[in-house]
Amino acid sequence: MSYRIAVDTGGTFTDVVVADADGRLTVGKSLTTPERTYDGFSGALANAADIIGVQVANLLAETEVLIYGTTRSTNSIVENKTAKTALLVTEGFPDTLLYRQGGKREPLNLAMEFPPPYVPRRLTFEIPERINAEGGIETALDEAAARATVEALPAMNIEAVAVSLLWSIVNPQHEVRIGALINEIMPGIPYTLSHQLNPIIREYPRTSSTAIDASLKPLMQSHLTEFQNDLRAANYQGEILVSACSGGVMHVDDVVEKPIYTVKSGPAMAPLAGIAYAAAEDEGNDVIIVDTGGTTFDVSMVRAGQIKFTRETWLLGEWIGHNLGLSSVDVRSVGAGGGSIAWIDSGGLLRVGPKSAGAVPGPACYGRGGTEATVTDAAVVLGYIDPNFFLGGRMALDVAAARKAIGAIADQSEMSAEQAAFAIITIAGEQMIKAIQEITVQDGVNPAESILVAGGGAAGLNILPIAKALGCAKVLVPRTAGALSACGGQYSNIVAEYSASQYAHSGNFDFAGVGRALGRIAEQIEAFSEELRGRGISKFESEYFVEARYINQQWEMEFAMPMAAIENDADVEALVQRFHDVHFRRYAIKEEGGAIECVNWKGRLTATLDKPTLPAEAASGDKAPVAKRISKTYFGGDALDAPVYVGTDLGPGAELKGPAIIEEPTTTIVVYPGATARVTDRHNYLLETETERGA
Amino acid sequence: MAKEINKAGHAEDNRFDPVLLAIMANRMEAVCREMTNTMLLAARSSVIGMARDFSCAVITSENDILAVAEGFPIHVWGMNIQTESMCDLHPDFKEGDAFLHNDPYLGNTHAADHTIIVPVFYDDEYFFSVGIKAHQADIGNSMPTTYMAPAADVYHEGALIFPCVQVQSDYTDNEDIMRMCKRRIRVPEQWYGDYLAAVGAARIGERSLKNFVEKYGKQTVRDFVREWFDYSERRCMDAIKKLPKGQLQGQQTHDPMAPWIPDGIPVGLTIDIDPDEAMVTVDLRDNIDCIPAGLNLTESTSTMAAAQGILTCLGEDLPPNSGSLRRIKVLLRENCVVGIPRFPHSCSVATTNLTDLIVNVTQSAFAELGDGHGYAHGNYCNSAAAGVASGTDWRRDGEPYINQMFMMGGGGGASATCDGMHYLFVPVAAGLLYRDSIEINEQRFPIKVDSMKITTDSMGHGRRRGGPATRVVMGPRKDKMSILHVCNGLESAPKGVRGGTGSKFGGNVKIAKDGTETKYPAVMVCEIEAGEKLRADDQGGGGYGSPLDREVARVLNDVAERYVSMEIARDVYGVVIEGEVADDSLAANLTATEKLRAEMRA
Repeated sequence: MSYRIAVDTGGTFTDVVVADADGRLTVGKSLTTPERTYDGFSGALANAADIIGVQVANLLAETEVLIYGTTRSTNSIVENKTAKTALLVTEGFPDTLLYRQGGKREPLNLAMEFPPPYVPRRLTFEIPERINAEGGIETALDEAAARATVEALPAMNIEAVAVSLLWSIVNPQHEVRIGALINEIMPGIPYTLSHQLNPIIREYPRTSSTAIDASLKPLMQSHLTEFQNDLRAANYQGEILVSACSGGVMHVDDVVEKPIYTVKSGPAMAPLAGIAYAAAEDEGNDVIIVDTGGTTFDVSMVRAGQIKFTRETWLLGEWIGHNLGLSSVDVRSVGAGGGSIAWIDSGGLLRVGPKSAGAVPGPACYGRGGTEATVTDAAVVLGYIDPNFFLGGRMALDVAAARKAIGAIADQSEMSAEQAAFAIITIAGEQMIKAIQEITVQDGVNPAESILVAGGGAAGLNILPIAKALGCAKVLVPRTAGALSACGGQYSNIVAEYSASQYAHSGNFDFAGVGRALGRIAEQIEAFSEELRGRGISKFESEYFVEARYINQQWEMEFAMPMAAIENDADVEALVQRFHDVHFRRYAIKEEGGAIECVNWKGRLTATLDKPTLPAEAASGDKAPVAKRISKTYFGGDALDAPVYVGTDLGPGAELKGPAIIEEPTTTIVVYPGATARVTDRHNYLLETETERGA
Repeated sequence: MAKEINKAGHAEDNRFDPVLLAIMANRMEAVCREMTNTMLLAARSSVIGMARDFSCAVITSENDILAVAEGFPIHVWGMNIQTESMCDLHPDFKEGDAFLHNDPYLGNTHAADHTIIVPVFYDDEYFFSVGIKAHQADIGNSMPTTYMAPAADVYHEGALIFPCVQVQSDYTDNEDIMRMCKRRIRVPEQWYGDYLAAVGAARIGERSLKNFVEKYGKQTVRDFVREWFDYSERRCMDAIKKLPKGQLQGQQTHDPMAPWIPDGIPVGLTIDIDPDEAMVTVDLRDNIDCIPAGLNLTESTSTMAAAQGILTCLGEDLPPNSGSLRRIKVLLRENCVVGIPRFPHSCSVATTNLTDLIVNVTQSAFAELGDGHGYAHGNYCNSAAAGVASGTDWRRDGEPYINQMFMMGGGGGASATCDGMHYLFVPVAAGLLYRDSIEINEQRFPIKVDSMKITTDSMGHGRRRGGPATRVVMGPRKDKMSILHVCNGLESAPKGVRGGTGSKFGGNVKIAKDGTETKYPAVMVCEIEAGEKLRADDQGGGGYGSPLDREVARVLNDVAERYVSMEIARDVYGVVIEGEVADDSLAANLTATEKLRAEMRA
């Protein structure tokens, strides 16, 4: 027997997904224990072991790979608990992290607080030195001044140092020298050099990544070491991999060097589950993945089997917060979930969110003091959620409290309680629709051509009307929907990315310069592959990307290169042609015959890991599912009787017609009137709906 | 969903389903975002693609502004007048047409904003227009700038004016117009790239709006439009009803600009707040006539500058559309410098100087209503770090370049609850602009930026302080460069409100190789050689409330962060701070502070 374990440590719950030798997945859940991560993990593991019917010790002993995903780094940034970090920058530019790249939402709102710069101005130090756009030295590094600056840091109790100088991407020698000074003067203090971590043009995103990475080093190094030690103490002998925001996993030793990759890594795993499930169910490789928790709704996208990436991943607010600046899985989050609060504005319009009841006090029906109407309360009033079977019966819900809260909204809007509740579910869905539209249209993708894979505790409540509005005919709700991120960990590969900045104009292509840049990337890829071969990995794939723009266009567009090296004019022509095509697909225009400027180059190495294959079960003979009870439900009109089924009782091949409700231990799926649900051979739920015209 | 429709085409009980209303409003907003996104990512010039100096809107067949996503308020209002001119001048406009409109006398903001208007049909019925308005890097003016303050009239200004000129029929460009533009506009490929981006964005909007009508049906769409305006109006009325009744006055003088405006331009306005009728009226009529310089406002910018000032003070997330604006009346006069311009007076600078002044004066006048209302003034010195730079690039065989830079900061005015922001830019820009990357600027242009940072003690102080000012120092690396620019606020500065103090003047200075400094006037044509430097200072924002009421913890943080010096903390805020950042010992002396503040209050 051999197992693989994937863990996702969230803010509230720790999810564990165990794959056995046959690829069967088992989900275990437990409350997260921030003081010692291992305790929550072992609780969730015990939960899963129990279901499988094996001793925890045996399970661990027979496990070969453990994939660890954590929100520790994300939370420490949000809660301002990272290391006391100093930032060293080129003289004259101490405010890069304050200005960011400008811009804000809400044109008419001038009374807003901006989060302070990631590193405060008082811990930002200017170093006399300057390199120009071509890498020439305008001002040599003032060694004495740099030394004096670093020597002053210990008195300020600095725990980590970030170094980000202008144009270090073209000529890194000043950054390298400062790195050596830090080593010499403050040995043992971790530091990050911008050209090593994220060598891209644009000083803001590069400096931001550098500062975030350095600030996480002390914390994540000790956190990962502790978790690793706890695992070893429990006699775990296998490999430890860590989830990364690049949509892959990294060896724990590599993560310790670049802990920024663990930020937002949880949601970055969800699309991997999406690809795996859609492929296993033979539903193609254009997938939209949604994950609904209590407070946020995350969307990511897979197009032709490729995950969509972005260099704009913001913490604490788009544009006004902090940009990770790394190429990471594009996950759009909106504050909409089971806890979102409904209210009526002064014009008489029903609004849902952005305020959330969170976990405390939570929705009114939790009976913990919440009085405002939430999406979960609406679902209770509509008969979608069985108050006695919430979270598999672990928590009884207060129906009267839910009705009272919804009633208040109903009274203000001259609707019945059921109408108001249905309106709340519908309007909450609008924000989710908006998030899905934004991520898809930005890439020229019509959501109607994709399958939706829905996970998270609250997804099943309204995923069907959302799909209908988007024109998606099919929705797949995996049986493991409640642990989509951990599940994605099971299907991950090792991913490493290397960047280089090198300017090249297609009309006068710098073959030598680009050759050197791509050569550097290829060398790094080869060196890492060699290391992985030593660890027994044999399947590799590398892809190359370029960020390019039309002459003087403002934003670069990243796209996959049709080749790995550019050696002659024909290669350049092929590259330019690819640019035109992608540009046309995304923005509906291209400039025929226009030249392009290439700016940043990137290589991505994917080292393929063995993965579980989702096993199929034979369809059971018993095709007529038996309802455990009938619920009185509302879908905007009169009450309808909906049979309620226990998911685990439904065999493969079972088909249900809406209205119906399927209860799983971690989620509830509402099959709307007109829609159907089928239990697949892999025991997932495939929902189908009619789509709206012209969506 | 929608209620039963009777033959007259109205819902039977005349009530539009509120849930459908929310859904359709959301989908309409998505159309604007889609256009915005396309424009942003496909644009060529930094003024559009980097700084986001553009806006997208959906206008109804009745010429009302329906949806604007996150555009500049100043850009959006007036697109309704522009579509009106499309109906007047091209009464048989049809599907596949596109119009280029930059006529300041027909509803446009100023000539530099090229607006692409595309009418949208469904079943041969005209439903909407989409408008994409974008500030061009160049428009063929007689001088290489898009803000030409000295322009005695439109002839002197020299811009190509397009009074709603048809540039596409059957989705195909009129090549004559393209050739005309390419002949007269500097760096024509840049203009053409931006034109393509705008038309692309408009066509994407067109496609989405057709889907919108297809999906909901024609009558429901018409009912939705009516109801959405009514809803927006209700929201605006509700906000106005919460205000105290009263009349507010405000005035300020724009700096002189020798020799064109030797005495400056005094601007006064009166605001009538009538909560009973839920109306706010701004009267701009009692001002001087149009002047022989490029600072005259247009009908759209006069109206929206005042309306933007009001809307920001109503303090709610009001939908910025024609429905909300039904409750804000702006009274204008023909041939007035802040009114409706009389041809051929130039309006080249109609989106900044006097508009910024009106926004500031409106917002600060509101503060007179009581604590909690209005804002202090924001930066209105559009420093030379936002100038239009041009020259040639020796690295690219002497290729010419011209573009507006966006490196200035501009402190925002404080509100009753928050400090002012650090990159307001100017009041009209409202902090929405993106900023240039230093590295990208240095890659694109042969310049070297020596520094860009905020200036300590540069803001107005108060219980809430203004945002700090920014200083930028830069110069060409080798060959000479020109920077053309027009600013205000070199002889005056943002004011504080309710006991808050004002900030400092801005300034643009050339530093010669030997260190000699020469100050530039408000209208500057700056030629800099290698080795010379341009130093540009914008202004901080004004403060709100007494500095003596600012929390000690905030003052301490301001000192630690070098927004405010220890001396100002003591002399203005009455907070005594001791120790040093360098050894982690910085702290406020509470006893001494209490004593000092008591003395200062006495």
